Amino acid sequence: MYGTVRDTAGAAIPRVQLRVMNTELRTTVEANGHYRIAAIPAGRVVLNAWLIGYRQAFDTVEVVGGDSVQVDVILTPSPLTVGPIVVTAAKRSQFLDQAVTSVALVSDSEIARRAVSTVDEAVNKAPGVLFLNGQVNIRGSSGFVEGLGSRVLLLVDGVPANQGDRGGIDWDMLPLDEVDRVEVVKGAGSSLYGSAAFGGVVNLITHDIPVGVHGRVRATAGAYANPPESVWQFRDYTGGLGGLDVTGSYGSQELRGSLTLGGRHSDGYREQDRSDQWETGGKAEWHPAPDTRVTASGSWTSHQYQVGDPWCELNKCDNRGLAFQPFMIDTSNQGNYTRSDKGYLAATIERTPSARFSWQARGSWLRTHFTDLHKGPDDFGVANRFGAELRGEAHAARGGVVTVGAEASYSDVTSNIFTGVTAATSDTVRSHDQTAFAAYGEGEHQAGRVRLTAGARMDFIARDGGSVSSVLSPRVGAVLPTRAGTWRASIGAGFRAPSLAELFVSTSAFGYRVIPNPDLQHETAWSFELGNAAALGSRARLDAALFWTEARRLIEPVFTRDTAGNPVIQFQNVARARLRGLDLFLVATPFPWNLTTSLSYTFLDTRDDSTGLVLAFRPKHLATLSADYGWRSLSVGADFRFVSRIEEIELAGPYAGDPRVAAKVLDLRAGWEGGPVSVRLLMNNLLNYMYSLTPGTLEPVRTMSVILAWKY
Amino acid sequence: MSSRMWRLALAAAVAAACHEGLQPTPTCPPGFVGICGLVTVLVPLPDSLKDTTEAVFIVAYKNFPTAPESLFNFLPLPPPPIPTSPSTYPYSLKVPNGQYQWVLAVWKRKGTLTTQSADSLLREVGFYKDGGDTTTHGTGIVTVNGPGTDSIDFVIDFGNMHRICTYFPPCPP
Repeated sequence: MYGTVRDTAGAAIPRVQLRVMNTELRTTVEANGHYRIAAIPAGRVVLNAWLIGYRQAFDTVEVVGGDSVQVDVILTPSPLTVGPIVVTAAKRSQFLDQAVTSVALVSDSEIARRAVSTVDEAVNKAPGVLFLNGQVNIRGSSGFVEGLGSRVLLLVDGVPANQGDRGGIDWDMLPLDEVDRVEVVKGAGSSLYGSAAFGGVVNLITHDIPVGVHGRVRATAGAYANPPESVWQFRDYTGGLGGLDVTGSYGSQELRGSLTLGGRHSDGYREQDRSDQWETGGKAEWHPAPDTRVTASGSWTSHQYQVGDPWCELNKCDNRGLAFQPFMIDTSNQGNYTRSDKGYLAATIERTPSARFSWQARGSWLRTHFTDLHKGPDDFGVANRFGAELRGEAHAARGGVVTVGAEASYSDVTSNIFTGVTAATSDTVRSHDQTAFAAYGEGEHQAGRVRLTAGARMDFIARDGGSVSSVLSPRVGAVLPTRAGTWRASIGAGFRAPSLAELFVSTSAFGYRVIPNPDLQHETAWSFELGNAAALGSRARLDAALFWTEARRLIEPVFTRDTAGNPVIQFQNVARARLRGLDLFLVATPFPWNLTTSLSYTFLDTRDDSTGLVLAFRPKHLATLSADYGWRSLSVGADFRFVSRIEEIELAGPYAGDPRVAAKVLDLRAGWEGGPVSVRLLMNNLLNYMYSLTPGTLEPVRTMSVILAWKY
Repeated sequence: MSSRMWRLALAAAVAAACHEGLQPTPTCPPGFVGICGLVTVLVPLPDSLKDTTEAVFIVAYKNFPTAPESLFNFLPLPPPPIPTSPSTYPYSLKVPNGQYQWVLAVWKRKGTLTTQSADSLLREVGFYKDGGDTTTHGTGIVTVNGPGTDSIDFVIDFGNMHRICTYFPPCPP
């Protein structure tokens, strides 16, 4: 199938997502508006075209075996159109409004408009998402535990990518230029994804490789503002940042490949905050047969960064008479830095033997290697995560769909701090591993106007070759389109197996021993959601959801005593907790048409049932107000983000007494696009508002950046 | 929503972000509940101890420890360290309201702290006491009742370091 995609005025529309429904066949429209999709099975198929800002189009096409068919698509501008296809909520392609749970999208055009440079910057502005010093929270799922044990699962094109040792997420693992869009599934997703999908799933979907020769170059340069108070000054020059990313790709009908190389440097905005990063990512596609696609992808990042937090507390540096110095480092931590290398390789085979059935198999290898260099012996950890999955998808004649699959993974770590040794020693190096097998299935059935979904996943997990534990994670849901919008409801189970780091950590923190706890059990949760997506007149659309999660055996670090009565820190299954609230997203195009505004708001009400207090690191209110205006080739926009004061923190040590304030951050952006060249100006934290979200860690100051991009 | 209302909303957002935020905070900030004061290092840490020193901490006990087992009932947890060079340093201990019978500075040798190793790893190097007091551990009772417990000043003398067993005799040889 081939053809063009144009708007109603006849202008070519690049980057439109084209998909043959009920198959894995898809492509992205080229810069000249042309597209081509090979190997479509003979018969009647439905072609879907979607791009944000346009009403999506469907075309039923009769494909004759061995012959080509031309289908030209015309898209009508419609800024409010939603209804893109998502691939994460049900582990298969479906329309967004058919998903039984909330899904937030970050499109490629949004990534380009915001001109962000890293993946976490792109994800951070998604509705309901909040980063706490690099740790992602979806509706308050994770809190903050120094990056250990994320309750959000990261996928790269559907491949799990959480660290094998700490269970956390390396957001710098994949160059942003490789990412086409991001899907954020909210709420427990363990019925399809198993452990770590306790509070949600973030899926980074990489670019499809277009036919022909293409290239992208993006250069970034910027500067950090100086501290707003003279008593906080810590250097006599202005800190800068810069980066360069180059992507090249070539594609024919049978073979396609792309490669991204990049590097960036930052002086940082605090004392001892320099960072250097080199990254590469690539992807290759092979179409050996009409109904078969083989994809291989990978990335590698080497990141060296000084450790600029925690900030200097009383008597830990030249305080200049102040209780704390947010821009300065504790002198005892001077010289600390981390080298972190990470990467992954993945290969996927997708086959679509008929319009009713498709299957895919994949294998992956994720490797992380960190070394913390500081006074005294260095800490290090080398971890691997090998994964494999086989999945099938069958479509019934009357709209029903069944997805079944099996998944296996093996994680190991060799480290001198995840040893499991109780005695204080730093010269012990030990290895630990975790093996997991799982089978899952989910079916969707159309009953009148209601689409019903039911499924479950069974996980079997063993550590160090020991006994096997099992977890069943069911989920049921329904979607009902009505005149008052499309209603969705679901209830599902979530769980998270403790990471190898939480089980076997043996180190020191705040001057105390952190001892292992090999008896840690899985965290579990039930998550309920009721949502509605509705158009409000012709110029606004609202998606709102009420959510409620009951969690048990949450793993948290606590001060306790060892068997000899000595004060120590240990991860324990301590908390039984409730997280409930409201999540809404409103997008509107008030006068004039080319002004788009949006408001996302999350209200979070949490309670730690063991203490009666709110859960630590869960702000009650999170809101982002955005506006973008375009005029010809120029655009301007602004975001204002509010995060209410974090009421409770834990393991804060000497930082417990620090003042905590709400975050109120205003970002401005402006851009010009002329043909293949674009220039964007960013002014993040324009008002140079000083705040912290985690103890002893100052959030970024005002940062001005200029981004030059060129596409071929 | 009209464009005027959006402009108003944006202006409100800007106004909301113009102020507040973290500000320079004096040593014992207004509203701080705990113990603040100055500690003066009179005699420097001997060179012979520098390699084995882990840190010097300031801690507070609600009740004077009466046995090695109660040594770990100090607050705050973890305690703040202070420099060891001769000078005067401000300190603050974030502790809840109540009476504190002993506010002191503790030198700690490198090593894993246990009740058994406490006598070899810890030394009392100075504590707060009322003027003219001559008792073993002083009668410097500090009362925290909301904010404002300031000027709990005392000195550190690394030339006069006391073993823990001084308070739980007899001292082993």
